[in-house]
Amino acid sequence: MPLLQVQPTRMELIKLRRRIKMAQRGHSLLKMKRDGLIMEFRQLLAEAKEAIDRMIEKYKVARQKLALAEAVDGSVAIRSIALACCQVQPQFTIMRKNVMGVVVPVVKRERIKKKIIERSYGVLSTSIRLDEAVEAYEDLIDSILEVAEIETTLRKLLEEIEKTKRRVNALEYRIIPSMIETARFIAFKLEEMDRESRIVLKKLKSKKEKVKAL
Amino acid sequence: MKLAVVGDQEFVTGFMLAGITDLYEVKDEKQLVEAIRELLNRKDIGIVAVQQELMKKLPTYLKREVYESVEPTFIAVGGSEEVVEEIREKIRKAIGVDLWK
Repeated sequence: MPLLQVQPTRMELIKLRRRIKMAQRGHSLLKMKRDGLIMEFRQLLAEAKEAIDRMIEKYKVARQKLALAEAVDGSVAIRSIALACCQVQPQFTIMRKNVMGVVVPVVKRERIKKKIIERSYGVLSTSIRLDEAVEAYEDLIDSILEVAEIETTLRKLLEEIEKTKRRVNALEYRIIPSMIETARFIAFKLEEMDRESRIVLKKLKSKKEKVKAL
Repeated sequence: MKLAVVGDQEFVTGFMLAGITDLYEVKDEKQLVEAIRELLNRKDIGIVAVQQELMKKLPTYLKREVYESVEPTFIAVGGSEEVVEEIREKIRKAIGVDLWK
């Protein structure tokens, strides 16, 4: 471990010991934070899995229904209806929530499903297959919004976990050991200086006595 | 906030029927890159649903940008398990074990 650049004085040693204590406390706190985050993450993961599976399922259904509608009514007809209906946008707002210091988005969904009459194509001139396909897609959009929320939360948590982990490791394997090493170095140095001055004193004393004896 | 959709014609048509107006119909990779670039800079879009097959075709530098962006959030939409491939990889990197399975 590399030593810190310090003067080997008693004051410096006291300061360093204080810093070591603080770093150790910070280290244990960060460790707890990391574990907490991972716990949170695991809970969310189960939810995410379900949501994504749901989305995949809905996507398959929607694709199938649309294909059926296109097969029966002709893809050109479907396309022209699609081009005509662009009035009602699904609306949602993104809010923020705090999970252990990580800001995550919460998607507030509202009114994605429309009633048949609210759709902007004529009900009479189109087939039931089209209605079904549209409904399936509205369902899918709802699901996508849900997945978006969860996936973003997962991503943010992951980032935070990685950051915390890096900090914990840096403290544990680098900063704290090098501080301890430095403290030990200073302690040795002080002892050494102590011994040295004692020898000097002894030498002086013996010299004095020799002079006295003469 | 609005939802945007990026995909081929078939993919886009369904969302069009459901009333989405921010649609990016792409035919080749050049158009795809252009669409993604534009979406990254748009402020009114909250979520982007990208066809999963197209997500794979993105050049690497753009892929990273897409996955890191939070506003808008990019979501791969598709019919197979592959939509979670990227996030799985990330979990493995951050936590050290593959928690997905």
